Amino acid sequence: MTNLNIEETKYTPKINLDFEKGIVSIAGKSYPENTFEFYEPVMKWLEEYFDGNAQETTTINFEIIYFNSSSSKLFFDLFDLLEENNEKNTIIINWIYDEENESALEAGEDFQEDFETLTINLISK
Amino acid sequence: MSINKNKLIDEIETLKEEFAKTTDKLVKDVKRQDKIMARSDKRQRQEYDELQKKFLEVEALQKEIEDTQKEVVFTMGAIGESRSKETGNHVKRVAEYSKILALYYGLPAKEAEMLKQASPMHDIGKVAIPDAVLNKPGRFNEEERRIMDTHAQLGYDMLKMSNRPLLKMAATVAYEHHEKYNGTGYPNQLKGEEIHIYGRITALADVFDALGSDRCYKEAWDDERIFNMFKEERGKHFDPKLIDIFFENLDEFLKIRESLKDTF
Repeated sequence: MTNLNIEETKYTPKINLDFEKGIVSIAGKSYPENTFEFYEPVMKWLEEYFDGNAQETTTINFEIIYFNSSSSKLFFDLFDLLEENNEKNTIIINWIYDEENESALEAGEDFQEDFETLTINLISK
Repeated sequence: MSINKNKLIDEIETLKEEFAKTTDKLVKDVKRQDKIMARSDKRQRQEYDELQKKFLEVEALQKEIEDTQKEVVFTMGAIGESRSKETGNHVKRVAEYSKILALYYGLPAKEAEMLKQASPMHDIGKVAIPDAVLNKPGRFNEEERRIMDTHAQLGYDMLKMSNRPLLKMAATVAYEHHEKYNGTGYPNQLKGEEIHIYGRITALADVFDALGSDRCYKEAWDDERIFNMFKEERGKHFDPKLIDIFFENLDEFLKIRESLKDTF
């Protein structure tokens, strides 16, 4: 298993998937031209990671300052994947948002509401 | 028989369960989609409102800039004028004449409007001409004439550094409004269409107004004398096309002169 790093662009976030530390971070803006295509390697990586490569504790840091609706859908799918693996793993999700960014906070609240079994921390900065 | 029947019921029960699971998932997905849509709509509305707000701000700033530019240009023209003790409405009339000449010549309305704003600066170079020369009654001697004629170059030098479209236009006007169509003007003896249309237009507008006004060195000409001179100078001092436009629309020029006439 290898780490996956994707550099930030104007439309896409910086992504670091570190399997040794068990840390996943997605930070920046997310409105790719083709959202599902863009995140496909990330989803594949997570599937592989939870398929016997996961660390004891996995921390997911989201710091999304702007996202389009297909990114929102994609994040729901990603949370589904985390929920499926939540029983066998310890997963901590940090949803980091700027206190002035109302839509980022609301998105975090939506995830909390939809995924009751997941540990989702809303962290304002 | 009853056993077989029970088995079928079991299968149906299983199907029912599967169906319920699938429909639950579908309902959940649809709800999720709805939520995403609702959030996205809300966000779009906010973004659009924000954009509109910013857009209005930009528009207001743009207007502020344009108004400031107009005011600066007009004030500079007025300064030039006050130095040479010309009459209060000279630059205003030249501005209006220039605009209609530009429009009938075929320049776009926006450009004609700009020329109206830039043309009052044609004599700005006069601020650098000594009073003794500028306000001398009677004819200039050769040296005085030479000094006086530098106002075109001086005006251009004052304005040429600007990158603002209006000031660039004013620079051209200042530089070329004493060029003559047959190449006998100054400072560069440009000929025909070598002279920028802004220069050719302002030349006619300026002379028409100057001849019809009293100056420290001469009395106003009557209209007939002006018109004869214009006909005589068609293709010499002035662009023939502009002279034609002038006579074809004479009423409009006279109307402007009347509405902006000097009061003493």
